[in-house]
Amino acid sequence: MSAVAMRLDDRIADRVNLLRQGMTTWLFLLPAVIFFVGYQAYPIFRVLWISFTDYEFLTNEPARWIGFGNYAEALSDPLMWTSLWRAALFTIMFLPGTIILPLLLAILVDRVTDQRLAALYRVVLLIPAVIPSTLVFVLWKWMYNFQSGPINHFLVDTTGLFTLQNAPQWLGGTPLTLPSIAIMEVWWGLGYHTIFFLAGLAAIPKDLPEAARIDGASEWQVFWHVTRPRLAPIMMILVVLRFGTAMAVIDEYLIFGGFNRDSPTYTWTIFMYDQAFKLGLWRQGFAAAIGMIGAVGMMFVMVFLLRIFRPRG
Amino acid sequence: MTIRKEQEYILQQAAREQLLLGNIDRREFLTRSLVTGLGLAGVGAVAKTGIGTAFAQDRPLTPTFYQWIQDLHPSIPAVNAKFPGVNYQIAPVEGFGIERFVAEAKNKESTWDVYVGQTPFVEMSAMIEADVIEPWDDYIPKDVLDDIIPSIREECTINGKLYGWPFLLDVIGNSWHSGVTTKAGLPDAAPATWDEYLANAKTIVDSKAAPFGATFDAHGWRSLVPMAHSMSSQVYTKEGLFDFTSDAAIEALMLMKKIMAVSHPDILLEGASDGGVNGTPDEVAFAAQRVGYFVKYFNAPLRMAQYWDDPKALHLGPLPKFANGEGSTAFWTTGSALFKHGKNKEKAAEYIKALTYDAQIWKDSIAGTASGHPGQLPPYKSIYLEWDANKPDWMPDFVSLVRGQLDRAKAITNHIFGLQQFVIGKPLWDAYLKGEETDPKAAMQKVVEAVQAEMKRGK
Repeated sequence: MSAVAMRLDDRIADRVNLLRQGMTTWLFLLPAVIFFVGYQAYPIFRVLWISFTDYEFLTNEPARWIGFGNYAEALSDPLMWTSLWRAALFTIMFLPGTIILPLLLAILVDRVTDQRLAALYRVVLLIPAVIPSTLVFVLWKWMYNFQSGPINHFLVDTTGLFTLQNAPQWLGGTPLTLPSIAIMEVWWGLGYHTIFFLAGLAAIPKDLPEAARIDGASEWQVFWHVTRPRLAPIMMILVVLRFGTAMAVIDEYLIFGGFNRDSPTYTWTIFMYDQAFKLGLWRQGFAAAIGMIGAVGMMFVMVFLLRIFRPRG
Repeated sequence: MTIRKEQEYILQQAAREQLLLGNIDRREFLTRSLVTGLGLAGVGAVAKTGIGTAFAQDRPLTPTFYQWIQDLHPSIPAVNAKFPGVNYQIAPVEGFGIERFVAEAKNKESTWDVYVGQTPFVEMSAMIEADVIEPWDDYIPKDVLDDIIPSIREECTINGKLYGWPFLLDVIGNSWHSGVTTKAGLPDAAPATWDEYLANAKTIVDSKAAPFGATFDAHGWRSLVPMAHSMSSQVYTKEGLFDFTSDAAIEALMLMKKIMAVSHPDILLEGASDGGVNGTPDEVAFAAQRVGYFVKYFNAPLRMAQYWDDPKALHLGPLPKFANGEGSTAFWTTGSALFKHGKNKEKAAEYIKALTYDAQIWKDSIAGTASGHPGQLPPYKSIYLEWDANKPDWMPDFVSLVRGQLDRAKAITNHIFGLQQFVIGKPLWDAYLKGEETDPKAAMQKVVEAVQAEMKRGK
């Protein structure tokens, strides 16, 4: 066999090996690919397609392609903008509570030197996070109840700060509804978010703050120049993740606010649900367009947040 | 895939039935279940091995009920016992959704044969539009059809066909806490007119017998509509929508505002309740004995009075009238719909007849049981005639009062926006109730425009 032929054989053998390796890799990747296509890509493209049609769930007429008709209708509807703004307002109320309070708590718990006590604090903090959502909603609905809730009982019957006529109306479409839900959400996620920061704090070598203190840095300077920059990746993850979940809240609004269009809880997610499953012949094409507008808007803000909170240096 | 699943399901159910009836032993049951679990191959194997007789049978009658119906009416299992093999199920939907039914109908199939839980004005039009249900006319016996109280029959009929077989009747009426009214020095009787009602409510507040005089449920179909009907039941447009700008509707809105002046401040709040159904602010106030009079369907005060020191202090009566009003009210039934793609349709009719005529269910509903006191009434003339002829010792007076009102009462007209028109309209008429809009007619005109705008969306 000539040298040229041997080189050719080697090259073919290499290619076959590469292909075999590639096949093996794809074989292992296949479950994830199937899952991704079936549970993520397909539904997204399906909804995208529906958003360009006049599909109504309650009729048996076939859906017709109407181009950007649904998008134009949604974008020219003041309710779309109002409902997006309401979701943003809730996010503005909620997001600081996922960073500042858990960060503060994490720093305090991190300083507890008694390991058993530190473990106890961690468990106590995590209790709300392991309560099922239904129980959390029932609990807070009772807490906030105008007539029989413990908060108003304290304000009216115990302290006499209010009367039955002017006591705060926490839920049900009043201006207090969004802050009330935000407080509930912050409480619910407190332990979960604190654990994120505790993990971040545990990854900071202890000699770094010690060295800073020896060099004369104040506790604030230690936090600002040593701790905070090293927690930036965690902050970024939390802000981006929780921004997404806060903007897309729906269960809480359905439970605490219903379908009153004047209610601050009538956000774009409720608008979408209302159109898709409640009103008329269930205009799911239009509802899909509302969803797409909300999702694309959120993605733009997420890119912006990723840039702002990106770890520097 | 769906057909295969259904076949597997039928086999599993049939095997279960035969086990319960003692026709097969547990070992045979397990064998069949295992074979069925093999999917289509299993189905074929079952058929080949001769134990497919179960598959050859139709599936058992499969009704689906809402959980709350079962909770409020504990005698339903006794009716089921009269139908051996009935595959009684609880609806697989949260709240009052029909999504699953519609989705199945699109594939021309139905897991269930009959749906017990349909409220005509809420969902019947939608289910017809989506081709989910078919009329009962071919299956309901003529004597039963003629026995339905005419106003109820009208409620369940669209285009001359009976799409709903009525079961549980809810009528909006007035109830009061006699402990509160007596303390306020008021007579222990139902106020005949709204003027009297308002004067009494004010007396309750002024005398400090209770912090609040009266209350209502702020959902339009539970307050605006019955109050409008008490003036006139002719408040529907040609297309079947509620005529929000009619005189009766405006009078009702103004009445609501007057009642609010003697009521609890959270009366208009939504969303603090269980899906807008239970635990509404009016119910909480009435349960806490903080209010004298209460306008709502009777099962609400009956449920709330169970929390009182003395539940016997609850008295029920008809809705008051306007001075020149018709004296009608609103009602609705929760009944049964026949799935177009279901099976066992004759059997379903037999079952629903037995269910809706069951004497024990009505006694429990009206007199109450340890598990609840729904106060829902039957839809048939003959049952009331029988009670009139031989009044049972457990029969409260309010039943005959309500029956009397039913001849004048009217259900909300069926329309695809039957319920949603009130959901869309509430924030707009609330503007008048809250004082943000001074002209009730202007507020109601905005409701009309908003409903029309929503209807214009889509095809």
